[in-house]
Amino acid sequence: MAGAPRLAVSGIAKRFGAVRALRNADLVVDAGSVHALVGENGAGKSTLIKILSGAETADAGTTAFDGQEVTIGSTTAAMALGVATVYQEPQLFADLTVAENVFTGREITRAGRVDWPAQNARVTELLDLIGLPARYATVAVGTLSIAEQQQVSIAKALAGDARLLILDEPSAILTDTEIEVLFGVVRRLAASGVAIVYISHRLDELFTIADVVTVMRDGETIGTWPIAELSVRRIAELMVGGVLDDGPREHRVPDGPARLELRGLGLEGRFHDVDVAVRGGEVVGLYGLVGSGVAEIAASVYGITPATSGTLHVDGAEVRPRSPRHAKALGIGLLPSDRKQQGMFSFQPISFNISAGNLRLLSKARVFVDRRREREVARRMIERLSVKTPSERQPVSAMSGGNAQKVVLARQLVDRPGVLVLAEPTQGVDVGAKDEIHRIIAELADAGTAVLVVTSDLPEAIRISDRLHVVRDGTTTAEFGPGASQVDVLAAAAGAVEVAT
Amino acid sequence: MSAPALARPAPAKPGRVLPFPVTGQEVVLLVVIAVLWAALAVTTPAFATEGSIVPLLVAMTPIALIGIGMTVVIVTGGIDVSVGSIVMVCAVVIAKAMVGSGIPLPAAVALGMAVGALLGLVNGALIAYGRVQAIIITFGTLNLFRFAGLQVFGSATVEGIPGTLAPFGRGDAGRTLGVPHSFVVLLVVAAIAWYYLRHTPGGRHFFAIGGDADAARLAGISVRARIVLGYVVTGLLAGVAACFVIAQGTSSLAASVGSGLELSVIAAVVIGGTSITGGRGSVLGTLLGALLVQTVRTGVTQLGWPSQLSDLFVGVFIIVAVGADLLRQRRRPTGKRTT
Repeated sequence: MAGAPRLAVSGIAKRFGAVRALRNADLVVDAGSVHALVGENGAGKSTLIKILSGAETADAGTTAFDGQEVTIGSTTAAMALGVATVYQEPQLFADLTVAENVFTGREITRAGRVDWPAQNARVTELLDLIGLPARYATVAVGTLSIAEQQQVSIAKALAGDARLLILDEPSAILTDTEIEVLFGVVRRLAASGVAIVYISHRLDELFTIADVVTVMRDGETIGTWPIAELSVRRIAELMVGGVLDDGPREHRVPDGPARLELRGLGLEGRFHDVDVAVRGGEVVGLYGLVGSGVAEIAASVYGITPATSGTLHVDGAEVRPRSPRHAKALGIGLLPSDRKQQGMFSFQPISFNISAGNLRLLSKARVFVDRRREREVARRMIERLSVKTPSERQPVSAMSGGNAQKVVLARQLVDRPGVLVLAEPTQGVDVGAKDEIHRIIAELADAGTAVLVVTSDLPEAIRISDRLHVVRDGTTTAEFGPGASQVDVLAAAAGAVEVAT
Repeated sequence: MSAPALARPAPAKPGRVLPFPVTGQEVVLLVVIAVLWAALAVTTPAFATEGSIVPLLVAMTPIALIGIGMTVVIVTGGIDVSVGSIVMVCAVVIAKAMVGSGIPLPAAVALGMAVGALLGLVNGALIAYGRVQAIIITFGTLNLFRFAGLQVFGSATVEGIPGTLAPFGRGDAGRTLGVPHSFVVLLVVAAIAWYYLRHTPGGRHFFAIGGDADAARLAGISVRARIVLGYVVTGLLAGVAACFVIAQGTSSLAASVGSGLELSVIAAVVIGGTSITGGRGSVLGTLLGALLVQTVRTGVTQLGWPSQLSDLFVGVFIIVAVGADLLRQRRRPTGKRTT
């Protein structure tokens, strides 16, 4: 291990428009070591690896590879250096075979023709290495499971002579057995002298696989430690930083029966045995890391992917939502997480967006939309939610993310649902709007609505919840009251053994 | 999920290193065409004769030839609805040149290819660098090219076109030993395209781009250059097709030439199994698709049925083909998560 480190970057900064994604990142990775990179969402991990893999270029900072100063200006340049990246989303071509995917962009050729037998032979070796059957070489990638596709991405990264392998949350979508196989591959590669950067949210697994850990927070690397000096709790503390936890919210939950209840809810392969009850006037949070199954739970309650086991109850009666529309008819108001795709009519005015889905309430004789009432309701909502807009006739596409989000939220408030399920209510929203949305959620609860908030934003989960369930490995594993500490919750979500309750 | 590691996987069978070159859809197409031909041969005795089959093969050549370029374009996830207008512009330029200065056949073909490639370059550059959806751009250029073509036409039709291009026509000059020359040209171009798309890195990259353009860029493929190339080749083949169209026509050329051709071409490509969402398609499928479309047209005429019926049948085939494609995509586990 003498000589220069495989990779040494320092002072890396990157700005996207007004957002400083990376302020100052330093990273030194030695050949033959597994170097974990951790940090909360938005800490800058993704931006850093995009820069290392040539997908983005840094605004400032220096990069040295094996002691030589280099500029990584493109993905091709990165590949030429031997930097191979396995992205969180498998970057594969569904209609091409596994062998073709592995060699796309660096085909083995003979006289201008792709040398299929040579590629096939090499891929067979790689498949063997990562534990997939050799016959997969000529199978179209689109027919494989997501986990298998992930493994193919790793094979793809290994096809070149990788000297630095970056793995961006490779374990998030793998099962335990598949993770064992992955770790085996990672160890073998490290032993052969490859430097490995391993990004993961599952802090517990770092103790099995990583040698050193670098923690990122707010666009900066705050330090690097040998894994032996750390614990899950310690890493969680470093990730969260010296943030003072907010005091418990002033909010009293009235006694009463559960209005929304998930009893042993499960969906084959995604989540299982989820038990959550929300009373009227209560805000219950459901927090989990990416891949924990928390997003899928919300989708099931919405009826997008109906659950395969367990039951769902609204006001004591069992319901089986088959679609978002059906869920709404059953009395479950929804705020989907992907607003651009699922929640908004971008080019339509605010009033249209608010009245959509409530047209029965706002129509004359159930046939014609009552334009005057539509406008009145829209104006009332704009005022109540402090939406910043000159007029209710403004199209939603002209508004900021936070204001657009309020409009979608307003649609749910028109008919005062008894049960409201919100998925990532403040994703992509600025801080000021976030506060207002949190206030609206609290007001709704005070008016008697049972609110379930599904979020991967840790401070938000703690701040708005009367009770907070943590989801890990597809099931609810811990429950916290108001005013839980961020470190405790993060440690529970990331798999600390000692779970605080 | 497969069992990991331990059991060492059996070595792959040598030889079979690519999926079988003929897809299920192509086999179905072959069967449908065979059934149609058999049915037509029984009902209209005139069908199964050289006097009927040869014109059918000649008539399908412009559609199939442009279809080869269109296959490449659609595989990358694009589309070119301006090909009818490109044929029109090329045809009028060639016709005027032949009437005016009596250029020989090679010059006429070269002129068509040059004009077609230039118009394809306009399409490709706007789409690859302007990042606007292909259907919008080419819908715009459809009208632009048509306008330009009408300007070249002037007000009248082009009259008195010499027989320079007769070797590509329907007449005796257009065949050797009964085989139409234009059909031979089609087969040669198809064979080259098939080999290029299936066996060279450059060809495979078209499929990668259609599968996931971002992933293709990350894999080091020059996505824009590939996309431009697809449109240029389509324009170039439309230029060759324009020569065939002139050769198949009379000595006069009307401004309506090429009008609506894009729909037949896209129909042939889609019926041939090329996925309209990109990433999958084949030259063989397109040839069969063009043959099916032309068989329906010829058959309906020979049976003496109203010609609108051929539109009905082609429409049904398109919907069945697209439906089959969608079903296939829904059956597979989703490759992308939504988060």
